[in-house]
Amino acid sequence: MKKEINFILNGEKVNLEVAPGEILLEVLRDKLGVKSPKCGCNKGDCGTCTVMLNGKTVRSCLVLAIEVNDQEVVTLEGIMHSGLTPLQESFLKHNSFQCGFCAPGMILSATELLGKNPKPEKREIQEAIAGNLCRCTGYSPVIDAIIDLTN
Amino acid sequence: MKNYDYEKHVKGESQFVDDLLTPAGLLYVHIFTASVAHAEILKLDYSEALKSRGVVDIITAQNIPGENQIGGIIQDEPLLADNEVHFIGQPVAIVVADTVLHAKEASGKIIIEYKNLPVITDPRLAFQKGELIMPPRLFACGDVDNTWSLCDHIIEGTTESGGQEHLYLETQGAFAYPLESGGIKIVSSTQGPTQVQRAAAKVLGFPMNKVEVDVTRIGGGFGGKEDQANAWGAIAALAAWKVKKPVKVILSRQDDMRMTGKRHPYSSDFKIGLSKEGKILAYQATFYQNAGAAADLSPAVLDRTLFHAVNSYYIPNVSVTAISCKTNLPPNTAFRGFGGPQGMFVIEAALFKAAEIMGVDYHKLQELNLMEEGDSFHYGQKIENSTIKRCWDETIKKYDVDSIQKRVDEFNKNNKLYKKGFALMPVCFGISFTNTFMNQASALVHVFSDGSISVSTGAIEMGQGVNMKIRQTVASVFSVNIDRVKIETTNTTRTANTSPTAASAGADMNGKAAEIASRNILDKLIKVACDKLNTKDPSLITLKNETVFCNNKPELSWNQLVQVAFNTRTNLSSHAQYAVPDIYFDKDTNTGKPFAYYAIGSAVVEVTLDCLRGLYEFDSVKVVHDYGKSFSYVVDRGQTEGAIMQGLGWMTIEEVIYNENGKLLTDALSTYKVPDIHFTPKEIKIEFLETVENGAGLKGSKAIGEPPLMYGIAAFFAILNAMKAFNPHKEYKLSSPITPEKVLCEMYSENVTVPA
Ligand code: FES
Ligand code: FES
Repeated sequence: MKKEINFILNGEKVNLEVAPGEILLEVLRDKLGVKSPKCGCNKGDCGTCTVMLNGKTVRSCLVLAIEVNDQEVVTLEGIMHSGLTPLQESFLKHNSFQCGFCAPGMILSATELLGKNPKPEKREIQEAIAGNLCRCTGYSPVIDAIIDLTN
Repeated sequence: MKNYDYEKHVKGESQFVDDLLTPAGLLYVHIFTASVAHAEILKLDYSEALKSRGVVDIITAQNIPGENQIGGIIQDEPLLADNEVHFIGQPVAIVVADTVLHAKEASGKIIIEYKNLPVITDPRLAFQKGELIMPPRLFACGDVDNTWSLCDHIIEGTTESGGQEHLYLETQGAFAYPLESGGIKIVSSTQGPTQVQRAAAKVLGFPMNKVEVDVTRIGGGFGGKEDQANAWGAIAALAAWKVKKPVKVILSRQDDMRMTGKRHPYSSDFKIGLSKEGKILAYQATFYQNAGAAADLSPAVLDRTLFHAVNSYYIPNVSVTAISCKTNLPPNTAFRGFGGPQGMFVIEAALFKAAEIMGVDYHKLQELNLMEEGDSFHYGQKIENSTIKRCWDETIKKYDVDSIQKRVDEFNKNNKLYKKGFALMPVCFGISFTNTFMNQASALVHVFSDGSISVSTGAIEMGQGVNMKIRQTVASVFSVNIDRVKIETTNTTRTANTSPTAASAGADMNGKAAEIASRNILDKLIKVACDKLNTKDPSLITLKNETVFCNNKPELSWNQLVQVAFNTRTNLSSHAQYAVPDIYFDKDTNTGKPFAYYAIGSAVVEVTLDCLRGLYEFDSVKVVHDYGKSFSYVVDRGQTEGAIMQGLGWMTIEEVIYNENGKLLTDALSTYKVPDIHFTPKEIKIEFLETVENGAGLKGSKAIGEPPLMYGIAAFFAILNAMKAFNPHKEYKLSSPITPEKVLCEMYSENVTVPA
């Protein structure tokens, strides 16, 4: 039995029907064509599917689509208003990503951190990013980019 | 310089195979796989599954129109199991349905009955039973047998090194669709489009020209998408051909971990003989490679183990044997380093053990045996322009290893429950595919009439920056702004017969091919300029910053030049091939000059061990590396750090565990630990050795993808040193990965009491 849901996605109203078991990540990617959240594990372990739900990061592979009814969802597509954010600029400058698969999730986690804490310590950055795996870089260019930006 | 190719990454616009637009009517695949590791299939009944909702078709070995064979080096790997299964996770049937969920549901309704056969997971057992992928390989020089009597110290031992899951964050996948020509187009996440093309063509019974493979980029490969991407491309193609619709296969993480091969685990024996001064006189080793159920790339991996069996050391008498053992595990495959790390681990273990017994410092013994300029490896190649000693000496000096030693000793004197350890690691890694014929690449360059440039090569962008390197190379040939140059997808209709992007050689070879193609066009453009500017002497024409100069006087813009060339009907396209010169290898005598050059460097790793919990933290990893004339500091640094992390992970926390029935127990990220951000060493220092241009590399640079991974080996010995500081009387096993759990089991195995 399908259910109608309404939510705000990247500032725009969305209305669609979903089955009770449908996962937010799949709905975003396959039904709404929003491709920046990726499926790295589908189990909440890797962070590539990270999106913001009412301003807080969640693993969209662990969220049912019906749960976001009347809520607000933001993906990486939705954080850019006029060009790259300073955080994105800093990631670009520091070559923080290689294959890029982890980038959308990582950037949202870092965005959330800086929203709460504009001058994080290295330890706090590590805590904020700990749920986002990257197999390519070794993480230090991610840390450097955030520290550089906040100095 | 920032890497503009990565702007898409930070915008979330980079497209991976599962993000690309697909033709309408796309169907999805779930692969039904073997649930036992070795058995005869008595019955396979999918009649109920066919009736399941949404199912379009179910395909088995019987439906394959061509050959049921995807083996690369040896033809021993069926695409779909027929009669017998050889590992858990081996594909048996392809379920095609309208959604992934429906395909999965139907797959659960397939009935299979087995007659179990004996399961082997241990390479030594496989060897005893004669289960080999190919005959053993032996590399030798000098006379080991007659040298032992001249040695003052002879040390023997056994080592283990574990497997490693690639864990590219983008799982394996492909989609395929039928073409009007009767052929099939496959869009794949692969390092080797030609290999996917060949495998799919064989399975479909098509000539290769009827299979087109296209790759935009891949979300990490590390060797895991070299031969191991073939199956998914071939499955998508087979299904698309059978149902005449577009079909997509994306492996779930768990399926990917269960079904694909990993870095080869090795079990090895060594015997090393040294003079009383500490010079290695003889070295003998036997490597038992756990190949899994089919050859895949194991024979080539095996050879690289033998090439790198002596790492950076000069040893006059060597005899090393490698045995590829067939077991009932997924076929193990390429992984950054390609068998080299496994070989180097054993010689380092031998030296570590020798140092322990001789009562000298491990790093002193390493230093004493480093190769000198002009020394030969056991396969005959001489080392030229060697920077082995320079990198090592710089490491010792720059990072003040003596004071590290003092600091560590001091710390260990003052702390009971925490201990520190450090170790050094020299690395000398040969660049080139060890199969000589693979050292070729090609490129196709077009200059369009508006002055924009398009470049196609065989290289796959997987984050290593190859596209940026090639863009930069082409832009500099034409002296134009880099924005004019676009790197196209890698496509078998534009570049044929390509080698996979592997062996760290992707940028070297494809970049050189693109450089040659660009120069071909440039030569023609210069002729056009001569005609236009009424000069006969092409040496008077130069291009600089998008401007054509004649006799140092600016005359034409790039756009004007191209326009004139077009109007005068000049060929503005070129295809070029590059074959690495002067390399050869005789597979009968196992001697020759297999490598274009060597990538060289040294590292020192420092660790602090929590002796109560077995946990460790890396205080620092400090490197001096010879990058040749570095192409891009940020790219090279990024590759170095990423490789080091994977090397540290391989040696420490990453543990692939199969039970005795061949079932993978570490099939999720919750059970298989890869380095997360907390694992990052507190300090990473990378020093670029001042050095000469490397003529054999792209624009004087040196390949960087794999070599730094082996610095991670120092982590193992650093931890062992910390363990020795805690309990010096214990003889520790030379078995990696040294997980925290293993640290504790080892340190406390003999009623060691925790100091108060
Ligand atoms: S896909 Fe959601 S955490 Fe990995
Ligand atoms: S850049 Fe490849 S996983 Fe992070």
